[in-house]
Amino acid sequence: MRWPRALGLAFVALLIAAPFGLPAFAMTLLTELVILGLFAMSLDLMVGYTRLISFGHVAAYGLGAYASGYMLLNTSLPLPFVVILATLLTGVIAIGVGWVCTLATGVSFAMLTLAFAQLLYAIAFKWTSVTGGSDGLAGIPRRAGPMGLTLLTTKTGFYYFALACLIGSFLLCRKLVASPFGAVLRGIRENEAKTVSLGFNTRLYKIAVVAIAYALGGLAGALYAPFAGFANTELLFWLLSGQVLIMVIVGGSGTLIGPILGAAFFLLLEHQLSSVTEAWALFFGLIFIGFVLFAPEGIWGLATGWVKRREKPLAKVRLRD
Amino acid sequence: MTIRPRLTRRAVVAGTGAAVASPWVWTSARAQAGGMIKIGMPLALTGPLGSVGQQQKRGAELYAKLQNEKGGILGRKIELLIEDTVGNPATCVRKAQEMVERYDCRLLTGITLSSEALAIVPKLAEWNAIFISSDNGDGRLTAESFVPNFFRANTSGPMGARVVSLYVKQAKIKSFFALGLDYAWGHNSVQVFEDEMKRLKVNFIGKVFAPTGTKDYSTYITKIRQSGAEGVYLVLAGDDNNAFLAQAAQYQLASKMAMLTEQIELVALRAVGDASVGLIGSARYAFTIDTPANKEFVELWKAEHKTVPDTFEGEQWQCMKVFEAGITKAGGIEADKLRPALEDLTIESVKGKVLMRKCDHQGVQKGFAVKVVKKEGFDHPIPEVISTFPAEQTTPPCNKMTYED
Amino acid sequence: MSTLALLLTQVVNALSQSALLFFLGVGLTLIFGIMRIVNFAHGALYMLGAFVGYSLAHWAGTFWLALVLAPLIVGAVGAAFELGILRRLYRRDASAFLLVTFGLALVVTEAVRLIWGPDALQVPAPKLFSGVVFLLGEPFPAYRLFLVAAGAVMAIAIWQALERTRLGLLIRATSQNAEMVHALGIDVNLVRSGVFGIGCGLAALGGVLAAPLVTASHAMASTVIIDAFVIVIIGGMGSFAGSLIGALLVGFVQVFGNYYLPDFALAFMYLLMLLVLVVRPGGLLGKEA
Repeated sequence: MRWPRALGLAFVALLIAAPFGLPAFAMTLLTELVILGLFAMSLDLMVGYTRLISFGHVAAYGLGAYASGYMLLNTSLPLPFVVILATLLTGVIAIGVGWVCTLATGVSFAMLTLAFAQLLYAIAFKWTSVTGGSDGLAGIPRRAGPMGLTLLTTKTGFYYFALACLIGSFLLCRKLVASPFGAVLRGIRENEAKTVSLGFNTRLYKIAVVAIAYALGGLAGALYAPFAGFANTELLFWLLSGQVLIMVIVGGSGTLIGPILGAAFFLLLEHQLSSVTEAWALFFGLIFIGFVLFAPEGIWGLATGWVKRREKPLAKVRLRD
Repeated sequence: MTIRPRLTRRAVVAGTGAAVASPWVWTSARAQAGGMIKIGMPLALTGPLGSVGQQQKRGAELYAKLQNEKGGILGRKIELLIEDTVGNPATCVRKAQEMVERYDCRLLTGITLSSEALAIVPKLAEWNAIFISSDNGDGRLTAESFVPNFFRANTSGPMGARVVSLYVKQAKIKSFFALGLDYAWGHNSVQVFEDEMKRLKVNFIGKVFAPTGTKDYSTYITKIRQSGAEGVYLVLAGDDNNAFLAQAAQYQLASKMAMLTEQIELVALRAVGDASVGLIGSARYAFTIDTPANKEFVELWKAEHKTVPDTFEGEQWQCMKVFEAGITKAGGIEADKLRPALEDLTIESVKGKVLMRKCDHQGVQKGFAVKVVKKEGFDHPIPEVISTFPAEQTTPPCNKMTYED
Repeated sequence: MSTLALLLTQVVNALSQSALLFFLGVGLTLIFGIMRIVNFAHGALYMLGAFVGYSLAHWAGTFWLALVLAPLIVGAVGAAFELGILRRLYRRDASAFLLVTFGLALVVTEAVRLIWGPDALQVPAPKLFSGVVFLLGEPFPAYRLFLVAAGAVMAIAIWQALERTRLGLLIRATSQNAEMVHALGIDVNLVRSGVFGIGCGLAALGGVLAAPLVTASHAMASTVIIDAFVIVIIGGMGSFAGSLIGALLVGFVQVFGNYYLPDFALAFMYLLMLLVLVVRPGGLLGKEA
C-alpha cells in the first residue's frame, strides 16, 4: 500500500496549495466538495466497515447544520466552538438513534434510520420558532468571535478550516478502523454471529459506530450551514440520504478515501452535466449503471487497481467471475 | 469473464473522468467589458416544480429573442444564463454563485422556489447583484427578510389571498373553511384570508394544512364537507392542487360549496380538465387580461409557441420589462446605479401599470379574480377575468405581509 | 353529515387509499422475496405506468385498455432490465443493486420527462365509474369503490396464483431456497426475470389506477417510493400477506390520523413503522431478522 499513500499525500499537498492557483468559484466548489466528502466518509464507517446500511444519514447532516445555524444566528459563540458543539450534539443524539435502530438488522435497520430522518424532517418543518419551518434559517454568518479568529471567516480561511476538519476526521477514522475496535467492526461485517460467540457485545459496538458516524456527519452539516449561509428542510430530505449512499458506493466503500472521491465525483458530474443538458439525469443514471457493471470496486478500486497493475505488469490480472 | 470488461471499464473511466476533470469549471470565464447584458436564471427545470421553471424559461427566452432583434437594451445584447437547480436550495446557491463568480453576472431572476430565494437574498449585497423575482410568493421577501438588492415584479402570495377576499366581499358567501399547503406560503395566505374574513364578519369555521406531496385528499375533502361551510378557500399548488381538484370533483364538492382558490394556472386546468370548471380564484397573470400590452404579448406568444401564455410566462415577461425599463433609466447594469433606477419606477405592463415602490421593492399592481370556464377554440378550460381590483387595494402596506383594513 | 355517515365515508376512504398502497407495495415485496434486492426504481416504474396509461387511454379512447396494456409494457421493460443487467449481478452484494436500480430510476424519470414533457397530464376516470354512489346519503366517488374492489380482487388473485399455480409454487420455492430449486433442474434465472417483470408490472398497474386521482405527474416517482418501502417493511420484507396488512395499516392510520391530528400528517407513517420495528424487527409477518 505504499503507492496509495504517496498518491494520498500528493493529493493533500494539492488541496493545500489550491487557493494559490484557483479562481474564486473553483474555491467555492472545492470547499463544498470537502464538506460533502466528509459527509460521505462518515457514512463509510457504517456502510463499509460494519455493513450497517443507512437510508437516513441525512439526519446527521441536517442536525449538524441546524444546530450550527441556530447557534450562529442566536448566540455569540465563535465559529469553531459552534462547529464542535454541533458535532457533539449530533453524536449524543445519535447514541439514542443507534440504540433503537440496532434492535433491527439489514433492511429493517436501514428503514429505522430513515424513520428517524423523516421524523427530524417533520420536526424541522413544524418547530418554526427554532428551525424557521419551511423557510429554514437564512443569512447564517461565519462569526469570528472575540479570540481573533477572523481568518476563519474569509473564503480561503474557511476552506482551510473545512479541509482541516476533513483531514483530521480522516486520520481519526483511519486510526479507528486499524484499532482493535475496528477489528470488531469488521468482524460484525463479515459474520456477526461469530463475533458474538467470541464474547463481544456487538450491539454496543454498533451503537458506538453509529454515534461516531453521525457525529462526523454532523460536523459536515455544521460546516455546510456557515458555508452556504442557510439551513433548511432540504438538508433533511431523504433523497440526500440516498445520494450520499451512492457517493460511498461509487467511490468504493470500506476505503474511507473512496467515498470522499465519490462525493467529489457525484457533485462535479451533476454540476457539469446539468449545465450542458437538461436531460442530465439520464446520463447520470447511465453512468451509475456503467459503474456497477464495469467498475465494481468503485473509483478508489479503479485507481489502486491501476497503480497495482503498473507495479507488477507481469502478474496475472485477477478478475471476479 | 474474459479480458473484454477491462476495455469497457477503461471507457467508463475515461469518459466520466474527462467529464469531471475537464478543466473549464476550474477556470474563470473572462468578462467581456461593455459586452452582453448577462441575466442569470437558476431555475427548477426538472423535478416536481419543473413545470414552473420551464414557464419562466420560455417567458425570458421569448423576451430576450425579440429584444435582441431590436438591438437589445442600451445597444447591448441580452444573454440569459439558464441553469437547472431541481428546486434544491443548495444547488441554487451553488449555481447562482457560479454565475456571479465565474461569469461576472450581476443580474438574477427566475429562482423558482421561495426556499431558494430566501437562501439567495442574504448573499446579494456581498455579490453586488440585483435579483428581480418573477414568481416568489413568500411574503417575507418584502417584509422581515427584505434586502435592498431584492425586487419583486410579481404578485405575492398575500396579494393573491387579498384578491380572493376582495372578491368574497362582492359575492355573498357567509361561512368559510380553508385548506392550505403546510408551508410558509400556505400558512401566510390562509392567515391573511382569515383576518380578512373576520373583518368582513364572515364566519371563518376552521382551517387545515396538508403536507406537500399529499396524494390522497379524501380525508381532507371529508373534513371540508363536514365543516358545513358555504365556501372553501384553497391555497394549493402544483401536483397537490391537481390531485385535490381531481378528487374534489369526484366527491362533487362543488355542488356543496363554493370553491375559491388562491392561484389559477393553465397548466393545472389542462391537467384536471373539466374538474376545474367553475372554480373561482385569483390569477397572478392570465392571458385573458384586457390591456393593450397583454393583447400584444399574447399575439407574440402565439406566433412563437402556437398556444397561449401561462401564469409564469406572463409574470416572467413582466419581470423582463422591469429589467429593461430599469437598465434603460440607469444607463447601465451596475447594482448601485440600477437599484435607485428601479425604485419608484413605473412601467406599462401586461397587467397594466406596475410601480416598483421604493419602501419594500414590491411591484404595486392590479389584482385579478378569474373564473374557470369552457370556451370554444380551446381544448381545455380557460380562466376568464371576472373582477379587476386596483393596485392600492391588493398591495399590502410597506414591509408587511398582512393587511390593516 | 351524521357521525355514522362520517365514519363509513372515512372507512371507505381508508380502504381506497389502502388499495392504491397495496398495488405499490406488493410488487416490491414479491421482488424482494425472490431476489433479495430493494428496487429503488419502483416509484419511477409506477410513474411510467401512469404516463404509458395516459397515452394508451388517449390512443384507444378507453381507460380499460390502458389498464391492461400499460402493466404489460412496463413489465416487459422490467424483465428486459433484469435480463440485460441485473442478471450479471447476483453474486454481488446489496450495494450493487442499490446503485443500479437508483440509476434505472434516474433514467426512467428523465425519459418520461423527455417523452411526455414536464407538465402533469389528465387521465379521467373511466365513464362507468365517473359518478357517485350515495353512502348513507353522502355522495362517494364510484371510482374509489372500484379501487377497493380492484384491490380485493388483485389480492385474492395474487394469493391464489401463489398458492395454486406452478409459477406460484416456483416463486415460493425460490424465495425459500433458490439453490435447491436450481438443483431440481429449474431455471432460476427465468423465475427471477419473470418475477421482476411481474413486480414492475404491478407497480405500473398501481400507477394507472392512481392516475385519475392524482393525474399523471412527475412527483409520483419520488414521493411514492418511500411509502412503498414503509408498507413493505411494516408487513415484513418478502411477505405477500404482510404487504396487504402494511397497506391497510398505513391507509387507516393516515386517513384517520390526518383527520383528527392533521399537524402530525408528516409523521404518522414513520411513527407506525418505528413502533412495529421496535416490537418486531423483521416486520409483522417477516422472519425475525
